[in-house]
Amino acid sequence: MTAGKAGKVLWPLAVGVAFLAVWQLGGIHALLHFKPFQLPVPLTILETVIDNLPKMLSDTWITASGALTGMIIGSLLGFLVAVIATMFPKWGYPGLTLVSLFNAIPIVALSPIMNRWFDDGFGQKVGVVTVVCMATMAINSYRGLNDLRPFTLDLMDSYAAPGSAKFFKLRLPNSLPSIFTALKINIANGLIAAMISEYFASSTAGLGFSIKDNLRKAMMAKGWSCIVMAALVGMLLYSVLTLVERRAVKWHASQNK
Amino acid sequence: MQKKLLALLLSFALAATLLAGCSSSSGSATATPTAAPEATPTESTQLDHLTLQLKWIDHSQFMGYLVAKEKGYYEDEGIDIEILAGGSDIIPEQNVYNGVADIGVTWVSSLMTYQAQGYDLTEVAQMFQNSGLLLVSKKSSGINSPADLAGKKIGSWFGGNEYEVYALLEKYGLMDSVTMVQQDYTMDQVAEGSIDAASAMTYNELKLFYNEGFSEDEVNVIDMNEEGVAMLEDCLFCTNEWAEANHDLLVRFLRASIKGWKEALADTDAAGTLCYNYCGSISEAHQQYMAAEVAKLVAPEGFDTNKIGYIDMDAVQQTADYLVKYNKDLAATPVVDETTFNSTYWKEATGN
Repeated sequence: MTAGKAGKVLWPLAVGVAFLAVWQLGGIHALLHFKPFQLPVPLTILETVIDNLPKMLSDTWITASGALTGMIIGSLLGFLVAVIATMFPKWGYPGLTLVSLFNAIPIVALSPIMNRWFDDGFGQKVGVVTVVCMATMAINSYRGLNDLRPFTLDLMDSYAAPGSAKFFKLRLPNSLPSIFTALKINIANGLIAAMISEYFASSTAGLGFSIKDNLRKAMMAKGWSCIVMAALVGMLLYSVLTLVERRAVKWHASQNK
Repeated sequence: MQKKLLALLLSFALAATLLAGCSSSSGSATATPTAAPEATPTESTQLDHLTLQLKWIDHSQFMGYLVAKEKGYYEDEGIDIEILAGGSDIIPEQNVYNGVADIGVTWVSSLMTYQAQGYDLTEVAQMFQNSGLLLVSKKSSGINSPADLAGKKIGSWFGGNEYEVYALLEKYGLMDSVTMVQQDYTMDQVAEGSIDAASAMTYNELKLFYNEGFSEDEVNVIDMNEEGVAMLEDCLFCTNEWAEANHDLLVRFLRASIKGWKEALADTDAAGTLCYNYCGSISEAHQQYMAAEVAKLVAPEGFDTNKIGYIDMDAVQQTADYLVKYNKDLAATPVVDETTFNSTYWKEATGN
């Protein structure tokens, strides 16, 4: 059992290390005829991250804080739309369609619009991420609020349960897994949206701006260090969310037993 | 499924008509001018294909090449030219290095950054002798001289376009007191007041700013040349490897290009109209304005037009010096010699 578990961790780890080693030793460069200045090797990237750590961390913080703020606002708004659509289906449901329409606006179009609405880079970024995150949460949580187990709603009705009880004791717990699914999608989407918005935003800080600026100036190692930081912060946020979800959904599952 | 197929077919048909339109228009353009008497190659001779990557959209900034193309000067030299427009994320250095294009147009400060990384690129001609970069602001924002920039928000396009602005700020000791802001490709930010001073090219954005409804006495303009912090801009470059293997083709390309530039300088209105018909950007008047302003950079007052494309090594050295001072991430000190700034081909093409 433990050997199996260790294998589960060790094999992917070994593959990862082997890939980095091949990259470091020039395997990728030989295969694709790259020069070192076109694709820096892992140790150079690591060195660049360490040499520029304060700048890297502040860029990461600027991007991540904007992404998180936008994600929270967007997810809350999306959830609100789903709740309204559930409680007042007649006039609330079209709200879902409207939010989905927002979702269809490409980020590259959304960014210049937000640049007109907000003066500073933070507001521009939060605006883009909010719009991007709204639809995912609205559609997922609407599904969770309404895909109830058969007869549960009839049972509540037969108890003459008030609307609030139906919502808090039945619909809300039932929607938790969907909400977490939406949050996980939004973490990744929010970070990507935040970085793309930095391509167009007026601020001159953040991972997105640094990636764009450094790659345009052929500072490949610096560009790659920002990519590494973006990947790290994405993985970190995702792991935190997975941990929270494990606890929350465990509680949800025990409620249903 | 059927709908999808139909849509696919329609888009193919549309693309085909577009392509047909392009080829017929360029065909008629290249067929008419057969005036040049020294034109030896006829239709039976094989033309050498050559791709030129511009730094920005194909407007009057590049009028010399567009005139040479439309008037058939490249064809006269036995060149089948293909001109690729640039854009915000099209990097001429990378496209030329990767072989997407044979020759590129870029700013010298940007080219040096690539050379310092180890890219085997060499400049072969310097088209702009002066800097066209300005910092413009509304007088109402309280900026009347560079010293007034203290504490202000200053726009730049970045990606290598910021070094002259940094040099100016350093000259006045303002580096730490200003906020640098990323500027889009309009002049709306400075017009609206979300930034105080904006980067602008003499030949493009300055006019766009006036077009937003500002009169000349409402606007303050800081000229990098007058401030003594100018760096060289539009130049022609290619890889050393390509230049050596295509020595003759490169010389012929330079000769045709310079002929195009000379003609454009002689009648900037005609060149502007030609460029407007070619690219359709903004308006004919704007392209003519741009042509007139670009002419001043290619051949400043007192400049001998027989020397168009001349590489002034002192100016190159000044650009390198500023770059070392203001690009803290530069991989190495730029090499300024015959391997990186090679006048051989230009001399051969112009007889200088």
